[in-house]
Amino acid sequence: MLLGVDLQLLSQYVIAGLMIGVLYALMALGVTFIYSVMKMINWSMGQFYMLGSFIQYLLVVRWLGPDLWFVALPITAACVFVIGAILQLVLIRPMFTGGVERRDEYATVITIALLLLLQSLATVLNGPDEHTPGSHLPNLTVGTLPVSGATLAASLGGIAALILFAVLLRRTWVGLALRAAAQSRIAVQTAGVDLMRLDMIAFGIGVALAAIAGALLAPVYLVYPTNGAVTTTKGFEIIIIGGLGSIPGALVGGLLLGLVEALGSVFIAPAYQNAYGFVLLIALLLIRPTGLFGERLRAA
Amino acid sequence: MKATKLFGVAVALLLVGAACTPDKGVGAPSSTNPASSATAAASEPITIGLLTPLSPPGDPAAGQLIQRGAELGVVYVNTVMKGVLNGRQVQLAVEDDAGTPATGATGYRRLVTEKKAVAVTGQFHSSVNIAVNEVANEVGVPVISTQGSAADITAKHYPVAFRTHVIDPFRASSWLSWIQQKGYKKIALIAETSDYGIGLVNETKAQAAAGNMNLTFDIEQFDHASTDLTPQLLKAKAFGPDLVINIGVGAPADLMLDQANTIGLYPAVPMLISYDTPTRAQWFQLHPSDGVGVYFIAYFSPKQELSDAGQWLATAYQAKYNEPPIYGALNAFADVIVIAQAIQKAGNTDAKTLITTLEDPAGYKGWAAVPVTFPKDGAGAFYHTWIPPILILQYTQANQNWRDAKLDASFSKK
Repeated sequence: MLLGVDLQLLSQYVIAGLMIGVLYALMALGVTFIYSVMKMINWSMGQFYMLGSFIQYLLVVRWLGPDLWFVALPITAACVFVIGAILQLVLIRPMFTGGVERRDEYATVITIALLLLLQSLATVLNGPDEHTPGSHLPNLTVGTLPVSGATLAASLGGIAALILFAVLLRRTWVGLALRAAAQSRIAVQTAGVDLMRLDMIAFGIGVALAAIAGALLAPVYLVYPTNGAVTTTKGFEIIIIGGLGSIPGALVGGLLLGLVEALGSVFIAPAYQNAYGFVLLIALLLIRPTGLFGERLRAA
Repeated sequence: MKATKLFGVAVALLLVGAACTPDKGVGAPSSTNPASSATAAASEPITIGLLTPLSPPGDPAAGQLIQRGAELGVVYVNTVMKGVLNGRQVQLAVEDDAGTPATGATGYRRLVTEKKAVAVTGQFHSSVNIAVNEVANEVGVPVISTQGSAADITAKHYPVAFRTHVIDPFRASSWLSWIQQKGYKKIALIAETSDYGIGLVNETKAQAAAGNMNLTFDIEQFDHASTDLTPQLLKAKAFGPDLVINIGVGAPADLMLDQANTIGLYPAVPMLISYDTPTRAQWFQLHPSDGVGVYFIAYFSPKQELSDAGQWLATAYQAKYNEPPIYGALNAFADVIVIAQAIQKAGNTDAKTLITTLEDPAGYKGWAAVPVTFPKDGAGAFYHTWIPPILILQYTQANQNWRDAKLDASFSKK
């Protein structure tokens, strides 16, 4: 017993918290990655999560079947990458090429409009029903916690996606250019890199990360037009905890949020599970306003 | 160039937004010439408001069923009843409350002030219903709750508040009777933190204590927006219950079943779902392996005797949607035809007269064989409330039609 809590129960909560934390990190990574490169916040990230879950559902149910869910995953990511790239080209690029004076306001308005557009379209096309692509993966036990095969696959898939993303950033030319753009957009442009093309790639990758989270969690949390709402809330909690624009911050913030929710649930009450993250966020902002890994910007 | 692009985007968004707006009247043909004389006004269609969840975070599947029933109610009034007040047609004005109290309150105002609805029905979420009643009590246009069950909807004895649905005290007393029949002693109540969830938890505990039932409860609560209910379920499992009562609405009810199954809580421990969500067509698509064995509350059985209007609906619904109606559609249909009958009996659409007329103890034809009555002397939440029977059903095999589900118990308000 620890503070009156059964240790087995505590260990189950910690495992559950870490598993959900990985997925939280994946949800937040796209937002912070887009911000780090493009210096804009994409408020419609949850809708790309929703889009990913719907595409995964359609691929699995119509063509591939639940056993080939892992084949559907990269197809889903590729589809959402293309959709994201096109939307960036049409809606976001004018922000950089048209001499828009208030870019932050423009980005906020356009991505919130995109949020409403995608959500309304999904509601109209799908109707109110919930769906699941189903899963044939057996239930397993991780430590002392019984978990569904789909949940474990989602967590492992999330870790794999995070590793792939890190490899992309560290080992490829595009990754090098993206990291350089995150440090200084002007320097990258001066070096002859097509920044507009790089933005399109960054936006596509960012939304594809959210779509991967949606696709992985489709058999666990169901598929319906507003299933991305949690992603939006948790994603923004995490990027503030981890530091806006910080990729390590998103990873640590995701895991930390999962753990705090789990420990708050076991030691206080599960009823306020969603509130514990905000308590952490407020406490952190008081101590370190830039977040765990964020850096203070120097204004000229 | 920039301005052109922005304008194009704005137009596209507006077009999509317009296409997604459910605010459209159905039923009677629209009038292109506003009433300019008493004669014109007398021939204008009468508007009944439908305020129901058609988008999340509400339960849009429930709202869709309610809308279907209400639309067929309008057809019934205009064809079988030949309209009201010397043949005036009835039309439906629809607003989406999104399961959100503030949106519901705004929707009610819009229906009454802009659409000139003479009565409003269709509420599903108790929280919305309670908020709407506060506005209705100021404005004065009656509201008939289709599926709101919190006691406060009618317990405040607002003259405008009516209901044709099961109330928390009756739902709680029914499942407590069933629990006693089954011999369960340790009950885990896992409820969302809404008026519905909190109301049911409080009512169940209060009635169990008042009846000296010697039951032990574990209460776990969650936010309606939650997707991971593992923390609540692990605590409930550690409690070692004989029964889990699932008091989630919409996606949380489905997620709770699946996640309880994952951690080994269900089916080792039986689960009772607090409302009739398993009667929906996609139940076994969502729960192919764990959908069997679950108990659930329902309010209508195919074996029940229907009124002639109820039979008309059953036929029309089957013809239109290629499936039999379930309770939500039946009740919304009944609410619309009850309002129409009350208008006919009152001889006008004045709100105060309509309220008095709805209280007529002779009652009105609904979907069930027994008439719908709204007793003004009903105690507490039974004020202005007509209550259908509560049935506890259980799926006994995969892909079973809910109509063939095992009837485990039934309870009627005496």
